[in-house]
Amino acid sequence: MLSISALEVAFQETTVLKGLSLSAAAGETVGIIGPNGSGKTTLFNCISGFAAQRSGTISLKDQEIQSLPPHERARKGLGRVFQNFGIFRQMTLLENMLLALESRPGEELSVSPWSSAARRRKEEAMERLREIHLEAKALNKASSLSGGQMRLLEIMRTVAAGAEVFLLDEPTAGVSPRMKDDVTEIIRRLQALKKTVLIIEHDITFIERFCGRIVVLNEGHVVLDDIPERVRADERLKEIYFGQGA
Amino acid sequence: MMSLLALLSSEYATHLAILVGIYLILAQSLNLTFGLGQLFNLAHVASYAVGAYATALLSTEGGCSFFACVVASVVLAGVFSLTLGSIALRLTNDYFAIGTLAFGAVISALLANWRSLTHGVLGIPGIPRPNLLGVDFYDNRNFLALLLFFVVVVQGTFFLISRSPFGRALRALAEYDQAAAALGANTRRIRNISFLLSSSAAGLAGSFFAYYLNYIDPSSFSLSEMIFLLTIVIVGRPGSFFGVILSTALLVLLPEPLRFLNLDSATLGPMRQLLYASILFAIVWWKRKSIFPEQREV
Repeated sequence: MLSISALEVAFQETTVLKGLSLSAAAGETVGIIGPNGSGKTTLFNCISGFAAQRSGTISLKDQEIQSLPPHERARKGLGRVFQNFGIFRQMTLLENMLLALESRPGEELSVSPWSSAARRRKEEAMERLREIHLEAKALNKASSLSGGQMRLLEIMRTVAAGAEVFLLDEPTAGVSPRMKDDVTEIIRRLQALKKTVLIIEHDITFIERFCGRIVVLNEGHVVLDDIPERVRADERLKEIYFGQGA
Repeated sequence: MMSLLALLSSEYATHLAILVGIYLILAQSLNLTFGLGQLFNLAHVASYAVGAYATALLSTEGGCSFFACVVASVVLAGVFSLTLGSIALRLTNDYFAIGTLAFGAVISALLANWRSLTHGVLGIPGIPRPNLLGVDFYDNRNFLALLLFFVVVVQGTFFLISRSPFGRALRALAEYDQAAAALGANTRRIRNISFLLSSSAAGLAGSFFAYYLNYIDPSSFSLSEMIFLLTIVIVGRPGSFFGVILSTALLVLLPEPLRFLNLDSATLGPMRQLLYASILFAIVWWKRKSIFPEQREV
């Protein structure tokens, strides 16, 4: 579904990703961990089109997408959930959801709010909000939500946009422990929908719950790529996080 | 009571209503790019000037009809915005503002110095009022009726745009450009279209301005005019459709009581500028966080 080959990204003199290769099959959930500065978010930025690569290829559904702008990658089924919450806080929850539905390829858009397409999208947006138990707040500004609710809204909005591959950048960052279960539940729902999910997380215990594979990045390289049990048992993981001799 | 009625039906009230109408088109169009799109476009008055000069030149030297002049003003202002947008929209934030300011300065310089075309600082006199269906548009009440028709059409269009999927996408990318792109919004195209719509409407306002005064010169399209427009949108709250309508009426009419103070024109002009500058400063200071919200990035 998603394949990255020999990806190299540099910012001026600093090379952040050094020939990184990675792939995720359709319906697979892959966890990505690594210390700060290992290149995790840069990898996601590069896949989404927000950081330019020096070399390498990125393929989505067997189609190379590295030369496409971000919006075209999104329209091909790439969904991004941002670490700093990608929701539009000054807009209502309903508007956030409508934006996703309106951005789907082939949607009939008009300036009339009374068109049948506009009414259908509004009903669908309310249904999506109902799924995450936020329909009562549909007309509230998104800034009124808690961190966990913002995350649920952002993930559901990406589902509504028609994404097939989800790049979740620290989905539990800024989320209360109680809401973490809700985030877990929505990720499980993505799995049930056979979506391909890549998750960046610091908390290995959290991603072990649903990742069949964990990739460990360090200094722009893939150091480990294995099932969670083997990754956890590997000495190199401790070395990366605690240094040699740990 | 009688004197109030007399005042409202007077030539003076008609004159003020025409000014409010022209500024409604101008301010609401700026509200699309600056208000909804948070694009600090300082070349809006340049689009207004392009529209005004297109009408002035085509009607005086080309002998063109009202509709031909209006269409030409709208189209030329649109073409100007596409040229400006192709360069300025590659810039972001403060650089965008500086880029559009530079474009505005180029237009001001052309108006003042390209004498063979614009007649320089002497301006273009004798712009004839429209001649339609035998109606006398030199009568300001008839001219106001014609203008009102366009004001309603433009306001209605911008109202629908602001609540349409396009308006939503424009607001979204103003808040978090990359998140909007990650949802599939073509950010450059949306900004270009908003620029085109905004500038074309400014061209229309320019056309009516030229027709109304029968004379234009570069002094009507200066930076202080741009600051006045920004003040209208900021006082009305950027992005607020009805707020901008109210603030247009308020700010266009606000200096009028000064006329009754028996001050000489050398004092009156600076007093108006001082009044607008004070209002702008006060609102920006008071509402600085909501007027210019922080733009987020990955």
